[in-house]
Amino acid sequence: MPLLTPNPSACYNGMTGWECQPGSGGRFPGAQGWNTEMLSGVTIFCFAASYIVALILEISRLLFRSGVRGAIMLGFAAAGLFAHSIYLCHRTTLSPAAPLSSMRDLLLVAAWLLVVAYLYLMHYHPRAAFGLFLLPLVLALIGAAAWFANSRPFSPEPVARIGGLSAAQIWGLIHFLSILLTLVAVLMGFAAGLMYLHQASRLKRKLPPLRGFWLPSLEWLQRVNGRAVVVALIMLGIGLLSGSILNRIATPPGAGRMPWHDPLVLSTLVTFLSLLVAVTFAALYHPARQGRKVAYLTVVTFLFLMLALAVGLFMRTQHGSARAADRVQSDTAAAPRGATP
Amino acid sequence: MRLQVVGCSHHIAPIDFRERLAFSAEQARTALERLQSEVPNVDGVLLSTCNRVELYVGSEAGEGPSGEEIIAFLARFHGLDPRELREHLYHYVDAEAVRHLFEVSSSLDSMVVGEPQILAQVKQAYQSATDGRAASPLIHCAFQAALKTARRIATETSLQQRRVSIPSVAVADFAQRIFERFDDKKTLVIGAGEMAEETLRYLRDEGIREVTVVNRSYDRALALAQRWQGRALPWEQLFEALAVADLVISTSGAAEPIVRMEQFLPVEARREQRTLFILDLAVPRDFEATIGARPGVFLYSIDDLRAVCESNRKARDQELPAARRIIQQETDRLMADLHLRATGPIIRRLQQGWEKPKEEELRRLFNKLPELDDRARDEIRQSYSRLLNKLLHPPLESLRDESRHGIPHSLLDALARLFQLKD
Repeated sequence: MPLLTPNPSACYNGMTGWECQPGSGGRFPGAQGWNTEMLSGVTIFCFAASYIVALILEISRLLFRSGVRGAIMLGFAAAGLFAHSIYLCHRTTLSPAAPLSSMRDLLLVAAWLLVVAYLYLMHYHPRAAFGLFLLPLVLALIGAAAWFANSRPFSPEPVARIGGLSAAQIWGLIHFLSILLTLVAVLMGFAAGLMYLHQASRLKRKLPPLRGFWLPSLEWLQRVNGRAVVVALIMLGIGLLSGSILNRIATPPGAGRMPWHDPLVLSTLVTFLSLLVAVTFAALYHPARQGRKVAYLTVVTFLFLMLALAVGLFMRTQHGSARAADRVQSDTAAAPRGATP
Repeated sequence: MRLQVVGCSHHIAPIDFRERLAFSAEQARTALERLQSEVPNVDGVLLSTCNRVELYVGSEAGEGPSGEEIIAFLARFHGLDPRELREHLYHYVDAEAVRHLFEVSSSLDSMVVGEPQILAQVKQAYQSATDGRAASPLIHCAFQAALKTARRIATETSLQQRRVSIPSVAVADFAQRIFERFDDKKTLVIGAGEMAEETLRYLRDEGIREVTVVNRSYDRALALAQRWQGRALPWEQLFEALAVADLVISTSGAAEPIVRMEQFLPVEARREQRTLFILDLAVPRDFEATIGARPGVFLYSIDDLRAVCESNRKARDQELPAARRIIQQETDRLMADLHLRATGPIIRRLQQGWEKPKEEELRRLFNKLPELDDRARDEIRQSYSRLLNKLLHPPLESLRDESRHGIPHSLLDALARLFQLKD
């Protein structure tokens, strides 16, 4: 059920007009985050603006040539990454588990990793238009993190503890990292898949490359696609496994375990099964590993993952709420929307 | 100070003439040494490629040798008649010579405009001329500016990215967008046409190693295979070779297609839809056009490639005005710098001439005011220097402005007379 409805009178924080959810203490989920951002001096706007400028410069490649644009573009992306890193570092001072503790963190760290990948790729293929595919994804992740995602930690327990981490924290960390890497792998695969489909389509129509829109070879893109699918499958498998272990060991006494038919779990399982079927089929039938089929597979996987992410952001789900709910005073009954991935 | 060039190119001289005037690397070194020993205070760079032979001569002082003297020098070196040389040689001086050098290094004067090899050849000629000896500042300035201009044109226009020959388009605009690397790819050549060999040359530059040649005449296949360190197969094994190939260059010259759809389908099954890049350069075509629609197959006929060549040629022509603008800007900039350098001696004398009275005045002042401490003396000294600089600024600025249009002889003369500047 979609829960976002504009309501400026209810807990309006001056930056968004979204009605707050039960369980968020009558405040916009990210309100505290915004204040601390202002204190730190680096806001989401700082790095998002840098990435937007880099994207605009990428788009301008299609229109005209320039000798200095590449350096300026990389400068803006690198400046954005620097501000992004400071922002994430500052998050750790606010919450001991940050930046690996909430839905918002998940999206922001995924965006950070995508920008690192973008800069790395641009170093080796400066002519390639990677930014046109990767930067919109980065901005979409940042936008989702800023406006929709909850910044409340999945587990408010401090990470550091005498004698090390608890088992629940270790499994929680594994669960978070594996879902994070799944997200990054699927997004990389999706970007490579779109590039492949565009490149293959022009080659089939016997057209030369567009001005300012140079893409890597089909062979390279196919390899990236294939690897992204396998990495996503492995990481999602680990994510599901660690999630189910976490569900067993970290549910407080008296609180019900999360059912397998929870919408988020269900949509993630569907994504995993579709990936598993596709990878098994490709392993058994060689032509399925070739050409556009892999690219289409990465696009479909992306759609499944976006569905799972949308469920996590906008639907009522018990995922992650059992552990968090008993520590949040105002909500023990209904799980907040977008509490966890 | 004078830069001039005497030479010939494919535009005005036939190949047999260019061959007679060509210099090997060793000959070029010898010729430059001989030029310096015969004409003092000059320096040179010899550019000798298959399309042009040019001798750039820079003289720091005076006007240097005349065009006739340079032609006579070239004729003497090769034992040719100067009158015969004069017919096919051009001679450019100063701004014209600079512009010509910039056009050559940016490949605007090349047979295939935009081809990148000429820049490397210019660089090599410049390096071998300056290796082991101090080349004149004029030669350094001109060639460094030429390299900079070529780089500017390469980055600010797409002149060098537009290929216009069929094999280069096939490799750069298509094969490189399909394959990341070529050293692990199997290349199959069907037929033994010239175009196939030309394309192989481009592919070899990209790293292909494994070449298989199939031809109706096994002997011709063997000869071509030997030239490319490949292997020849009898015509009957065409489809076996096709099943394992990654790139196919077909120039068989058969009257009918040699690979039809019904013949290709079993090959496709064996290939498991691996990517196949086919360059069908034969007329009539060797591959049935519908094969290009099969998954993983990228089939290009000579007409497809010709269309891209034509569109590249048009796009490249549109880039020419921008390239010429850059050349004009850089020529003007270099000439202004060179002219300004020619005013250097007068400026130095002017500054030195004013330095002496300044020091005398300071000495007199410091003698009158012995109570001044070091700090006050430094302040006064700096103040005098600033005043001098401010007084000199307008005439120097006027010299700079006038230098844009040539060496400002009249202004230099006026300055020398007004301020009684003597050598």
